[in-house]
Amino acid sequence: MTVLVTDRLVLRPPVPGDAEAFLAYSASPRWVRERGEQPLWQRWNYFATLLGHWQLRGWGRFLATERATGRIVAHLGPLCPDGWPEPEIAWHLWHNADEGQGYAFEAARAAVDHAFHGLHWSTAVSYIAEGNTRSRRLAERLGAVLDTTATAPAYAPDERITVWRHPRPRGVA
Amino acid sequence: MTALRTARLTLRRPVPGDWDAFHAFMMSDRSTAFGSHRNLARAFRAFAAELGHWEIFGYGMWAVTAHDSDTALALIGPWTPPDWPEPEVGWMVLSAAAEGTGLATEAARAAIADAYGRLNWPTVVSYIAPDNARSIRLAERLGAVLDPAAPQPNSDDPVLVYRHPKPAGAA
Repeated sequence: MTVLVTDRLVLRPPVPGDAEAFLAYSASPRWVRERGEQPLWQRWNYFATLLGHWQLRGWGRFLATERATGRIVAHLGPLCPDGWPEPEIAWHLWHNADEGQGYAFEAARAAVDHAFHGLHWSTAVSYIAEGNTRSRRLAERLGAVLDTTATAPAYAPDERITVWRHPRPRGVA
Repeated sequence: MTALRTARLTLRRPVPGDWDAFHAFMMSDRSTAFGSHRNLARAFRAFAAELGHWEIFGYGMWAVTAHDSDTALALIGPWTPPDWPEPEVGWMVLSAAAEGTGLATEAARAAIADAYGRLNWPTVVSYIAPDNARSIRLAERLGAVLDPAAPQPNSDDPVLVYRHPKPAGAA
């Protein structure tokens, strides 16, 4: 089992027992703002997909948990369904109260590092809705650069998706 | 590992390698009834959810194969998101060549019997899009009865609810 440890967080694969926590998060205004109101089965389906992606690829998005408490603060990391233009590092912070703590940065940096060094990716992007300024600032802080020539996936037809390319860490060919 | 066996078919837990068969189906003209039709990323995620369903519940839709081959010809069996009004047995015949052979009937019968028996479900329904004539015929062949009063899944698209009788001999 792949586990990444940072100063304050543990990133681990999701397990079936995380469903309840995920369904609570996905009922929150944070989720609704991003994806609209969704019935429970649709949000549950999303969670099942998080698990299935790990089975299909051998890797997938982590749950980032606070080391001190075990509390889940985010789901984030490597994501690449067939049909995705390129492998992505995605991130979703779960709670408003965790904003501004540097948690997303700390976890995303570990995930990007893992993608290049552990999964041997040769490139990594993040797809960010144009209006999502917090996410865009995080990409910038991670050193990612807007790539206007790259193709974005067509998952949100109503919104323009921008492509942010992460710098290749030193030592990765 | 749990598997069911009928006269001609094996029903086993889906594996990542079944993605090829699922993918071919979702990209074909035969999958227009499904939201993932001709949308590769959605199809991938739908298949990932099939695997996740098994991981969460320990059961899910079965991959249906011939006895002498491991190729998934259909996905047929339990589907139970937490807010589904009743536990469902669903079906997707992935292989065009398998259509008209009675495969879906044979596998669905086994899946329904297993749901009533081993899984101890009190009721079994199938949710079917009103324009999916093939699927309606299959439900009727299985002896299911349209239940217009049954509660609907929480979705913008109304479905027909077919109720499967408990097989004779089941407790």
